[in-house]
Amino acid sequence: MKKNKVIYSIEHKKYLKNIKTKKAWIFFTQIGLLIGFLLLWEALIFFKILDPLFFSSPLRILRTIKEMFVEQKLYEGYIIYVHIGITLFECVLGFLISTVIGSFIAIGLWWSDYLRKVLDPYLVILNSLPKVALGPVIILIMGLGLKAIITMAVLICIIITISSTLHGMTSCDPDKILLMKSMGATKFQVLSKLLLPYSIPNFISVLKINIGLSWIGAITGEYLTSRAGLGFIIDYGRQFFKSDLVMTSIVLLSIMAAIMYLGVSLIEQKVSKNR
Amino acid sequence: MKIILCLHNVSHKYHSKLGETSALQDINFCLNDGEFLSIVGPSGSGKTTILSLISGLLKASQGHILIDGNEVTTTNRDTGYMFQRDQLFEWRTIRQNITLGLEIQKKMTQENLKMIDGLIEKYGLKEFADHYPRALSGGMRQRVALIRTLATSPKLLLLDEPFSALDFQTRLNVCDDVYSIIKNEKKSAILVTHDISEAISMSDRIIMLSNRPATIAHEYVIDMADCATPLLRRECKKFGYWFDKIWKDLEKLS
Repeated sequence: MKKNKVIYSIEHKKYLKNIKTKKAWIFFTQIGLLIGFLLLWEALIFFKILDPLFFSSPLRILRTIKEMFVEQKLYEGYIIYVHIGITLFECVLGFLISTVIGSFIAIGLWWSDYLRKVLDPYLVILNSLPKVALGPVIILIMGLGLKAIITMAVLICIIITISSTLHGMTSCDPDKILLMKSMGATKFQVLSKLLLPYSIPNFISVLKINIGLSWIGAITGEYLTSRAGLGFIIDYGRQFFKSDLVMTSIVLLSIMAAIMYLGVSLIEQKVSKNR
Repeated sequence: MKIILCLHNVSHKYHSKLGETSALQDINFCLNDGEFLSIVGPSGSGKTTILSLISGLLKASQGHILIDGNEVTTTNRDTGYMFQRDQLFEWRTIRQNITLGLEIQKKMTQENLKMIDGLIEKYGLKEFADHYPRALSGGMRQRVALIRTLATSPKLLLLDEPFSALDFQTRLNVCDDVYSIIKNEKKSAILVTHDISEAISMSDRIIMLSNRPATIAHEYVIDMADCATPLLRRECKKFGYWFDKIWKDLEKLS
């Protein structure tokens, strides 16, 4: 068997090489695109076609990163780690709360057909309502600060969590449920032995969506009311025309969001190994 | 011979917003212990409904269903249901799939697990026992589904077109396979199928349902004891006779 694997026809070798070359090209183009974009940006600033007051520049962003992490400059009283930490905290907490509560509500709605039908129009409306519009209401009820921001993040995530989790559970082949019932399964057994394990892949895609959404929630929350956090720095930078600060914070945000996304992808790979 | 199942004047109606549909009308038949019965009929004639009623998944609008003299009121442990697709749980190993019924019925005793190990070994699943279903071919998966059904020791197997999702070649082999396992375990079985030759090759008796509301239109006792397995039966002289007869009767109905 092993010998067979080693001896490929010339045609097959060509085919394999072709795949490799294509992959390499895609990678280099991706990197090239990024470098080209940064060079163009820097050049436009250098030749004074764009005004750095509004557009910042890659070098200025690098300088600001140095200022943040090496010189540890204070921004409105806090070093950058505090700002990052606060936004991360809001985001993670909003993510966890909405995922846990949302999943439980989804299970409840699966359990009771009646409840699901009663609540259906409300869910539809809540889903299409821009949650940011509720910002002032949230502040009135929760007060200014962390609580309001986290509530914002939860509100933005929870509806989509409920509807996608529920959809995942109801997409199970009805014959699988009949099979369990024919074996005498209780409703709880159908849930625990079939629907929950069945929904895990769907649940993970819900997690992926929620990561993005909870960042949106945390940043919008900070725009509305905050004294610290990356969203706060962006808003503060905007007010005082510090575009370097705005751009750098956005770069930091993208890096953090990417790391969290990768984390969930890793979990996904582990879970989907046996599927 | 001992009678294991009897349907007495069973009728069933489905209700929907558009009105009520009478699916079954006065169905009467009995099944002997160890007998293999097939139900054929025009599509939509309520073949699957009969299985659902016997398994207790549906409750008959009228009439009585007795298994071993006990009336069926809810899902019961006397029947094992096998579906068109294998419905194996992808996240469970083959062994875990097979023990699903025991887990649900809280019968995971040492004795039962030993019995299952016996089945796994006997029917050639030992080397796959700790693999996941995706490692298995369609035919093997359907065999696992059958062993899963047998694991709770039902008296009566209800087979709802269990071969129709397989390609033709696999189908003939799996048909043979399932038949020999059922005979080997001395189980009674009811097979619902739209494939006449499949019904003839497996059954001791065939019931043909009429169009809706379905009654029993014909009953055939297949006397092909000299041809032992489904594959051999297909080559039997009488096979053509029965096929012709049943096919023409079915044509007349539709």
